[in-house]
Amino acid sequence: MNRNQSKGPPEFFISFFRWFCDPEIHQFIEGDLFELYDQRLEEKGKRKADLLFMKDVLFLFRPGIIGRKKNHYQTNFIDMFRNNFKIARRTLWKNKPSTIINMLGLTVGMTSCLMIALFVLHEVSFDKFQPNADRIARVVMEYSMGKDGGSQKGTFTSTKVAPVFSRTFPEIEKAVRMNDASAILQLNNQPVLESNFLYADSTFFDAFYYEMLDGNPKTALNGPNKLVLTESMAQKYFGDQDPIGQGLEVGEEKDLFTVTAVIKDYPKNSQFYFDFLASFSTMGANQEETYWNANYTTYFLLTNKDAFYTLDEKIHPFMLKESEEMGASVDFHLEHFKDVHLFSPYSDMVPNTSISYLYMLGAIAFLILIIVCSTYINLSTAKSVERAKEVGIRKVSGADQGQLFWQFIGESTLLTFLSLITSIALTYLLLPNFNSLIGKNLSVSELIQPTFLAFAIGLTLIISLVAGSYPALILSKFQPISILKGVFKNTNTAKWLQQSLTVFQFGISVFLIIATLVISGQLNFIQNRDLGYDRDQIIALSIGWNKDNKQISTFKKELKSHSQIINVSRTANSPVNIQSGYSMNLPTRPENEYISVNANPVDDEFIKVTGLELIAGQDFTESMIHMTENEEWEDNEFNYILTENAAAKLGWSPDEAIGKRMILNEEGTVLGVVKNFHFQSLRNDLNPLVLFTSSWGSKLLVKINGENLPETLAYIEEVWGKFMPDRPFSYAFLDEDYNRMYQSEMQLGKVMNIFASMAIVLACLGLFGLSSYMIQQRLKEVSIRKVLGASTWQVLQMLSGNFVKLVILSIVVATPVAYWVMDQWLDDFAYHISVPIWALAVAMVATIGIAFTTAGIHGLKAAWSNPVKNLKSE
Amino acid sequence: MKKYQLGEFEEIVMLTVGILFDEAYGVSIKSEIESRLQRNVSVGALQTALKRLEEKGYLKSQDGERTEERAGRPKKYFRITALGKKAMEYSKETRESLWNAIPEVAWKLKMV
Repeated sequence: MNRNQSKGPPEFFISFFRWFCDPEIHQFIEGDLFELYDQRLEEKGKRKADLLFMKDVLFLFRPGIIGRKKNHYQTNFIDMFRNNFKIARRTLWKNKPSTIINMLGLTVGMTSCLMIALFVLHEVSFDKFQPNADRIARVVMEYSMGKDGGSQKGTFTSTKVAPVFSRTFPEIEKAVRMNDASAILQLNNQPVLESNFLYADSTFFDAFYYEMLDGNPKTALNGPNKLVLTESMAQKYFGDQDPIGQGLEVGEEKDLFTVTAVIKDYPKNSQFYFDFLASFSTMGANQEETYWNANYTTYFLLTNKDAFYTLDEKIHPFMLKESEEMGASVDFHLEHFKDVHLFSPYSDMVPNTSISYLYMLGAIAFLILIIVCSTYINLSTAKSVERAKEVGIRKVSGADQGQLFWQFIGESTLLTFLSLITSIALTYLLLPNFNSLIGKNLSVSELIQPTFLAFAIGLTLIISLVAGSYPALILSKFQPISILKGVFKNTNTAKWLQQSLTVFQFGISVFLIIATLVISGQLNFIQNRDLGYDRDQIIALSIGWNKDNKQISTFKKELKSHSQIINVSRTANSPVNIQSGYSMNLPTRPENEYISVNANPVDDEFIKVTGLELIAGQDFTESMIHMTENEEWEDNEFNYILTENAAAKLGWSPDEAIGKRMILNEEGTVLGVVKNFHFQSLRNDLNPLVLFTSSWGSKLLVKINGENLPETLAYIEEVWGKFMPDRPFSYAFLDEDYNRMYQSEMQLGKVMNIFASMAIVLACLGLFGLSSYMIQQRLKEVSIRKVLGASTWQVLQMLSGNFVKLVILSIVVATPVAYWVMDQWLDDFAYHISVPIWALAVAMVATIGIAFTTAGIHGLKAAWSNPVKNLKSE
Repeated sequence: MKKYQLGEFEEIVMLTVGILFDEAYGVSIKSEIESRLQRNVSVGALQTALKRLEEKGYLKSQDGERTEERAGRPKKYFRITALGKKAMEYSKETRESLWNAIPEVAWKLKMV
């Protein structure tokens, strides 16, 4: 009978049966099945026969019948594992240079990864310990004055928002207002400035969870002058005494606060940062008249997390109605509390970390890992010629491909785990340095949290698989016959892979070098840019708001009597960062056509201290400052100095502006015009600014000549003690303040510097190892060439030329990418350098130079070696 | 004795192998049981039983001829071994002794 395909039983079931059946009995049973099938085909027709065949096969799928293909002998897996481990250990030990290179690379790479992971985990975990985090929203205010469209946005709100909104919207369960302040406390009768002094509504503990050691969260803040301490502050101020019910004198007026509760010190990954929590009602600021005076932060605890979106939609129409008669538009938006730290542009008490910064770090870690893995792959494929014989013998003795594959994977796993252990130790040791680099305070305890350990182990396994699988695959695929019969050369695919990985590695290094150079170039540019004012040798002192101008005048005079002190100015904001928003107008224009503008209250010495350049008119005089000292606001007479572009906004040239009348708070006279200057971060454009005379301001700017700084500071402190006995002395240098504005860029710069150098070192390490193996294989060729008269230079060129070609290729690939990416980054700044061509050139020359030297070391060694030694055997 | 343990289906298979004597292989055993006992036997159950009996040493097998109707697959013929015979006898004896141990009165009572 002819068994033809269409007449036979279903093919799929036959193959399925063949797949699962024990090979020893498979033939007999299959025979039975076919015989039965033919019988049934004749008796019952094809359909029935097919169905019954399927049924039979399915019923055969049972223990007893299922059997996997066995090897010729039973393998003892535990013994094999131990043997593999032993072989791996011996191989690693035998190839010391490549083991050291790999270990070094892996350790450095993994250490950077672990540190970055530690940082990222820390940042991502922010506020996760708050059980209500899902349904808390932060309020963002957006307002604009007049019609010129410029709107201001921020997390400031007035005290009105909380009561009005919770009455109006049922979605809000509780509303919390906060004010982050600082306070002067008395410790052993000495004034101490406590800068983490937070005022909050009594609902604070309903929304946010803090473990209370003592006291009742419901009543702790429900009344003025109540104070909650953290455990460590209770220890600081009361020692072992019970703090509950005790009083603390707060502020220059020494108001008495009663301690009502003590909370446990809370985790560091919290965006709230406070040591003291005082009741909001203490400030007496509870008003519902206006949405202005927006000096507070408001949080809502919503009834459920979906209420966020319904509420967000309802606010806009409500506010349209509310702001109808305000002559300005005021609106509020909501932000998810749990997204604040990573996604919001507005920081709370702890500076936010931008998610893009985390991505950037993650990308750097990833690039370094790629470099490290490439090195491992390159070295193992280069070595594969040596290992080939071993593979051949193993195969002849009966090892199959799978066993060999796992043997080589085992080798990479062993190496990676060794590196992991070193990396964890290194991370532990370097954590303090890393902390100061990124400006964080990660603790060692975070090294043993489960997520981190899981990450570390996962990373190790992934690296060993990624790095190990290609060499393992290549090695285990070798045909024993071609290996053992004689000369064995690496395959073309392996060579191709080696070359592309080298290009890749160096491409990454070039990219990182260019990025680093551009970032440091931009930072340099920021630091050295002429901002239009002088920020060197200026000390800023914080004097508080409630100091009488007469007293301050004497204070200023006494300071100036010192030979080292040139000028002293009282102002609200230092020129480094002026954010306060005002609106200006002309008496001749309609009242509601405001122009938004930044303004700063200053005295007559502000321009002298900061070195602003007056281009028209004149400076304020001391008598003008006195004209603003009246108790009755209306009696005050104001004078203004505009920046050039502020004058232009009002339609004046600098000369025209002098003597004109304008309105800021009150109507006043324009006295002078100064050149535009950068009073905000260079990310912003040059904005218009108005300086106005005032007898108030919480800052003193002291211009010194800096010849004897310690002595000058000592003198200032001495005078301070005389005039401000109730305030602790603290000072800051203006240029440091300025640099602080670019802290995240500075950090990025430093981090990039380190990781870029690491990347290039790792890439060179890889090239070093690779070239050593490649050249070793060509030793005979080199010797013959030498015998025939090749010069050292020719040999070197021949050996290293190929590597240099690869490096040049990588430069060609990486440079445009780097150029484009860094151009994007620079665009973020309103004032920036263009990607400098010299940076590209430096990166190129440096990379080629380093690559040539690395590859050249081995080349030279080969070129100088004695040909006789290499040729005498064989 | 435990070493002569035979399951009910196993015993039937052993007996059928005995009946078929020289012709006992998968399909013939299956059809013999089906025709004699009027019960359906799946290939899976039969093969598992055969394999188990062979492993216990009650049956021995021998590769047979490859025929065209089996698509060139050989038959596997089974025969009862001496040990198999002992097991069958033991099984029969235990049953008989159990039968004999049932008192007459039990049957009478049942009939009432």
